[in-house]
Amino acid sequence: MRSDREPLPKTTAIQLYRSLFLARRSEEYIVEHYPENLMRTPMHMSMGQEFVCVGVCAALDGTADVFASYRSHAAFLAQTHDTDRFFSELYGRTSGTGEGKGGSMHLAAPDQGHILSSGVVATQIPVAVGAAFANLRLATGRTAVAFFGDGAADAGVFWESLNSAALFRLPMLFVCEDNGYAVDTPRAARQVAASLTEAVKPFGADAYEDDSGDVESVYTLAREAVTKARRDRRPAFLNIKCCRYLEHVGIGTDWNWGYRDQATVEREWIARDALKVQRARLASHQVGESAIAALEQEIESAIQASVQRASLAPIPTPDRLHAGVFHAKA
Amino acid sequence: MNVALAQSASQGTRVLSYAGALLETMDAALARHTNVFIMGQGVDDFKGIFGSTTGLAEKHGAKRVFDVPLMEEGMTGIAIGAALAGDYPITTHIRADFSFLAMNQILNLAAKYRYMFGGLMSCPMLIRIVVGRSWGQGAQHSQSPQATFAHFPGLTVVMPSSSQAILDMYPAIIARHPGPVISIEHRLLYNLDFTVSDTGKHVPLGSYVAREGTDVTVVATSVMVLEALRAAQYVHDKAGVSAEIIDLNSISHPDWDLVAASVRRTGRLVVADTSWLEYGVAAEVCRQLVVRDPRLLKQPPSLLGMAPAPCPTAKSLEDIYYPSQHETVDAILTQVTGAGHGIPLPVERSMTEGYKRFRGPF
Repeated sequence: MRSDREPLPKTTAIQLYRSLFLARRSEEYIVEHYPENLMRTPMHMSMGQEFVCVGVCAALDGTADVFASYRSHAAFLAQTHDTDRFFSELYGRTSGTGEGKGGSMHLAAPDQGHILSSGVVATQIPVAVGAAFANLRLATGRTAVAFFGDGAADAGVFWESLNSAALFRLPMLFVCEDNGYAVDTPRAARQVAASLTEAVKPFGADAYEDDSGDVESVYTLAREAVTKARRDRRPAFLNIKCCRYLEHVGIGTDWNWGYRDQATVEREWIARDALKVQRARLASHQVGESAIAALEQEIESAIQASVQRASLAPIPTPDRLHAGVFHAKA
Repeated sequence: MNVALAQSASQGTRVLSYAGALLETMDAALARHTNVFIMGQGVDDFKGIFGSTTGLAEKHGAKRVFDVPLMEEGMTGIAIGAALAGDYPITTHIRADFSFLAMNQILNLAAKYRYMFGGLMSCPMLIRIVVGRSWGQGAQHSQSPQATFAHFPGLTVVMPSSSQAILDMYPAIIARHPGPVISIEHRLLYNLDFTVSDTGKHVPLGSYVAREGTDVTVVATSVMVLEALRAAQYVHDKAGVSAEIIDLNSISHPDWDLVAASVRRTGRLVVADTSWLEYGVAAEVCRQLVVRDPRLLKQPPSLLGMAPAPCPTAKSLEDIYYPSQHETVDAILTQVTGAGHGIPLPVERSMTEGYKRFRGPF
């Protein structure tokens, strides 16, 4: 944790907790209800690493367009807080983000600045560069942020994107949700560079690293990074260490496979779970237990209401199968 | 479900899953050929490409069966370089969609090496790619690019539809095929059990008749071969219709004479493919017949493939996106007895409904 950091104001602390709780509870709902076989879409869960997207999206405060990977839930909810369209999409309803055609891996709400989530590793990264490029050219004042895992940093297109963003002097954010694994392969088995953060520096990005596991630390870091990026017109690379609590895809834990040690993960990560830490911090801001509980109940009710609305929404009718493949004739 | 090939002998057979057949052939290739190695994302992990490489790294060593970073284009280039130097690489893509990242190396180098250098060099290698289907795989995890690959001269493209096809084809490919081979495997087949025979050759590196019949020719690929076989049994039982099923099996080098001879006898054609019809396998089957003799068909054929759209995830749309048992039976009956055949169609929508075991992993 960054001990030199000024404490954040109470309102920001509450805002961050709300956003964290929303992402966590939404996924807990999924874990509870996925076995009903009504959400028929492969789920790549964010649980444990929500604080990365939550901190960054709060820091950017809607001034950047979001490009996410298939591990899309936290990024989408942190940016949009839109549980209605989120659950509708997971339930395959016309009221979903992609009218039920996209599923968990392909969430998008451009009207709320979540441009896309893509199912093939690293595909979203150059697209974010393109958005930052256009926003700069069109002088919109907006920029772009790409969220991706450390697996994406194996891929050539990550380095191409980093190089071109620096070359084009784009004030964008590359945010690595560094959970240490590509599916179940640890980073050391995939990358020779001891530090990814150091490896990107010669490419012309300002590189930051954070292993606090703390949402406020990420928030503060992202604010600094985007301010400097805008001032110097340089991309920023944020390497945020985090932990995926669940398996690569699916709602279960995967301790039984033995590629990582449960006790170690519990000691190093779950013991300082970002949600738990932030909840404790609210108490230090004199937010009482009943106020926290009320806030949580409000979010719980919103999730239940969204699920209820999804269950009442139409399922796509056969005529929608062919709709939208090509643009209609002008 | 246990799908027996028509020509399987009742003696000397055993039951083997598709994944099991893959594992056996991978294991045997490593044991038999010292220059074989397998690389791909997750080939040495506990899931072992859906059970098709499980335990091979432990048995044959990490130098011969190894995981790679996310580097599809790089990995494929490395495989080509190794093949040029005398190795036999086997690469994997757990979704066909991910092989698109390797298209540059596959199409611009692997497919052309032999020709471009006047036969000086060749790159024998096997690229195994897996097609996903069902449970909301969605637009980027469900594509079936056999026609795309087969379009490019220089690539050999096969689609094994059974354990027998793997047992018969893979050893021959690895031992003798001098060029790059792309094998398109289907995720829905992996957990299915098939009756196989270990004696004699049953599935050639071309096409073969999977069920003999006289009324209509059904040319099918991959998992659609199983749909067609089930449909053939159904129309036989319900309507006395005799459908001949041809497993195209090789997409780049099918036995067109076999197909044409069958259609010459039946005069009626159904093509059941796992991909889109536009510029696809079905279109090629029709082209091959028309250029031979435009009078081969008595009537327009029935063509089954994915709907011309990216794959949607909502079940209501995914169900009608893929050709099913229902449509296959309807196509066969329509060919033989006309559109107003009035014969009740099977209720079961598709194979995926029949395979309740399939719940991922994805």
